[in-house]
Amino acid sequence: MNPIFQRELVGLLRTRKAYAIQAILIGVLTAFVVIRWPDNARADFGGEQAQAVLRLFGYSLLAGLILICPVFPAAAIVREKQDGTLALLIHSPLTPWDIFIGKLFGAAGFAMLLLVLSLPAATACYVMGGVAFVHQILAVYLILLLVALQYATLALCISARTATAVSALRLTYGAILLLAIVPLGPKQFTQGFNDPMVGQVVNTLACVSPIPAMMDVLGQGGIGSQGLINTGPVLQRYSIFAGISILMFTLLTLVKLNARIFDRNRPAGKVTDERSGTVRAYRRIMYLWFFDPQRRSGLIRGWMNPVMIKEFRTQQFGRSHWMMRIFGVCLLLSMGLMLATTRGTLNWGVDTLGGVIVILQTALLVLVAPSLASGVISGERESGGWTLLQMTPLSTFTIVSGKLLSAARTLLLLLLATLPAYGVMLAISPDQAPRILQVLITLILLAVLSLMVSAATSSVFRRSAPATAVSYGILVALCGGTMLFWMGRDAPFPRGLVEQALRLNPLATALSLINTPSFREYSLAPANWYVMGAGIVLSTVVLSVQTWRLARPQ
Amino acid sequence: MSDIVVQTRDLTKAFGSFVALDGLNIQLKQGHILGFIGPNGAGKTTCIKILVGLSRPTRGSATISGVDCTKDARKIKQLVGYMPDTFGSYDNMRVQEYLDFFGAAYKIPRKNRLKRIDEVLETTGSTYMRDRYVEALSHGMKQRIGIARTLLHDPRVLILDEPANGLDPAARVEMRQILLRLAEMGKTLIVTSHILPELSRICDTVAIITKGKLRAFGSLEQIMRNIRQRRLMELQLLSTADLDKAVGLLRTNLEKDAEIVVARQEATVRISTDADDQTLAELLGFLINSGLAVAQFREVQQDLEDAFLMVTGNDSPATDAPAKPAPRR
Repeated sequence: MNPIFQRELVGLLRTRKAYAIQAILIGVLTAFVVIRWPDNARADFGGEQAQAVLRLFGYSLLAGLILICPVFPAAAIVREKQDGTLALLIHSPLTPWDIFIGKLFGAAGFAMLLLVLSLPAATACYVMGGVAFVHQILAVYLILLLVALQYATLALCISARTATAVSALRLTYGAILLLAIVPLGPKQFTQGFNDPMVGQVVNTLACVSPIPAMMDVLGQGGIGSQGLINTGPVLQRYSIFAGISILMFTLLTLVKLNARIFDRNRPAGKVTDERSGTVRAYRRIMYLWFFDPQRRSGLIRGWMNPVMIKEFRTQQFGRSHWMMRIFGVCLLLSMGLMLATTRGTLNWGVDTLGGVIVILQTALLVLVAPSLASGVISGERESGGWTLLQMTPLSTFTIVSGKLLSAARTLLLLLLATLPAYGVMLAISPDQAPRILQVLITLILLAVLSLMVSAATSSVFRRSAPATAVSYGILVALCGGTMLFWMGRDAPFPRGLVEQALRLNPLATALSLINTPSFREYSLAPANWYVMGAGIVLSTVVLSVQTWRLARPQ
Repeated sequence: MSDIVVQTRDLTKAFGSFVALDGLNIQLKQGHILGFIGPNGAGKTTCIKILVGLSRPTRGSATISGVDCTKDARKIKQLVGYMPDTFGSYDNMRVQEYLDFFGAAYKIPRKNRLKRIDEVLETTGSTYMRDRYVEALSHGMKQRIGIARTLLHDPRVLILDEPANGLDPAARVEMRQILLRLAEMGKTLIVTSHILPELSRICDTVAIITKGKLRAFGSLEQIMRNIRQRRLMELQLLSTADLDKAVGLLRTNLEKDAEIVVARQEATVRISTDADDQTLAELLGFLINSGLAVAQFREVQQDLEDAFLMVTGNDSPATDAPAKPAPRR
């Protein structure tokens, strides 16, 4: 047996979290079946109940895999690299292929185990009747298997190319968002276009994500298509794409798994101030002086929070030149949406544009906030910086507030960069002002919630990688997980229950406020604001108690 | 005014029933370097954490320049510069930015900060690293920047946890020079290290601690005198043929409980004795007059490693220092 596989999987199965995940999964799936199990002698020839359970079952497993699958492989190679054990593995008689397969099946093996644990529930669905074995049960498992392999290989590929486990996790979740959610956008927002070419392109693009394939298999291929069902061979397309991407990610990882992985030049540490007059003048003009990444920074001013400035300087995207780049991209995206709206208002409508912007902003907040804030305390503890900070005269409040302010600034910039699109919406339809204000309140609360949840999680964990994974898990579960109820609206979930579930979801709240089709019928605000407020208070309490515990003398 | 800078009285720390530090009493004068040694888990880090205000003692007290380490943490932070065994590196930050951050954290006014950064970089011989990224520095460079960081706020006492750990020989020599320079500047240093020969070259005072108890404290000479009341002498002959005769003469001329060990292949006899210099001089004359061809007759000097091994003895199954069968020559 591959020794790496054995070590990784056995090591993982020994952890409490692995046990907890398995127990929760079995509990939830059993509950699904028990709730919908026929309680009288009448036969359900239509198989509605079984279909309803299978839908929940399929979506839950898919959501679970998307959330859990990247956690273990994303850190698998980079952690070995940091600990110095990757050199030992590469130096051993194990081939790169052995290492890769060991890592892949060590990490994906756990996902496979979860799938095996779900088999009794799947069998129960089949026994209930009305569910096709090959076209539904097997197809669901095929998609889940492909998702597990695809995202595990993606995570390994990223892990082999990053310097820290945290950056590997961030990039992996970002890439998964790009592969699973973003391809659905064009299809959602180009419906009704007459051009068949556009239709074909967006349909094919949507198949990059496993969600349409799962929806198709579970008999919900037409949902969200506004009556225009044009699914095509979705499962086949996804399978082909997944197969190609698995192969590609595998090759890209194998290329890196050799001694060259350690060939990294130390940055020379050049500064513009030390270079020739011509170079200095050129760079100062081109970078407008302030945005020159090689500029020697000024000293921290007395009135500034030094921790905040330190955070800006140490974050990958915290430096002024990176902030301007991110701001610029968001601004361009926003302007593009404005242009699209003014040219195609009749086709899209203000509601559709609002929906796009809300999804874009929510995705950015959920993606960026944990990457900024989930290391505020765990990162310092991991690097040994926490002790050094404690040795300075800075109070714990100054340290934590400096860290939170640095993350808040970035989030604020992201929110501000997409504001022009709301301006256009107002110009088109001035009566939308109260709605837009409510949406902005929801998004600001989401930003604060994301920040505080990530910071609170960071104070609980010793290492940044699990803190980041848990922060993403909580936020994605909040914004994406509760959508499972919306997907099962009317069958099996009654409207009341769906509304209750969506009240937890800031994305659904913003979409309902902006009048997006399928969400406009729910009344979610201000209930969701109270929920988010409670979440912020709870996170603040956890953060305060934890930092007090960590800062007091032992 | 007393020049005692660091003082602990009956310093004790217990975690439940486990006593990590048991009634530690030490005193350290200004400008002195204390070598703090002991096996892993002996209580060194616990003691250091109390001294820097990161831990509270269960009993007893610790003061630095008269300031109580537990009651006045704010003043202690100004008085002490602490370098833990982990560097505490921040990615994507240049050395000057790194020092600027800690300078700002220690409230060094902006107008003085750049000058101070220049000074500490010069003291540690790190000026050329100013614009380098911290994460790109080698281990030795990081150790120097770590010391520069602890010096930023001009503390009276420096507590350095394993400053020479992982350094190559040249870097160790440089580190030694830096520490001696700091002591000359009037700083009081507490240094822990596993590299005992290094410590013995720079320390005025040594504290050996095992299982939370202070086993020996004082200058190296004092410690050696205390732990080994007897002198270890070595007699080397030109020929192994005279060895038995030499042993016989030694037995008749030394006290009864003198230990005599013969290393036949080296034609050497090692003697552990209470005899003073006068007695030993007379003994040497007698041996020579008896016709023995004496090549060498000398006292074996003992070092910190010997002291450490003798003090810790079988106290700990896993000591930090490499095990040695006998005192070195």
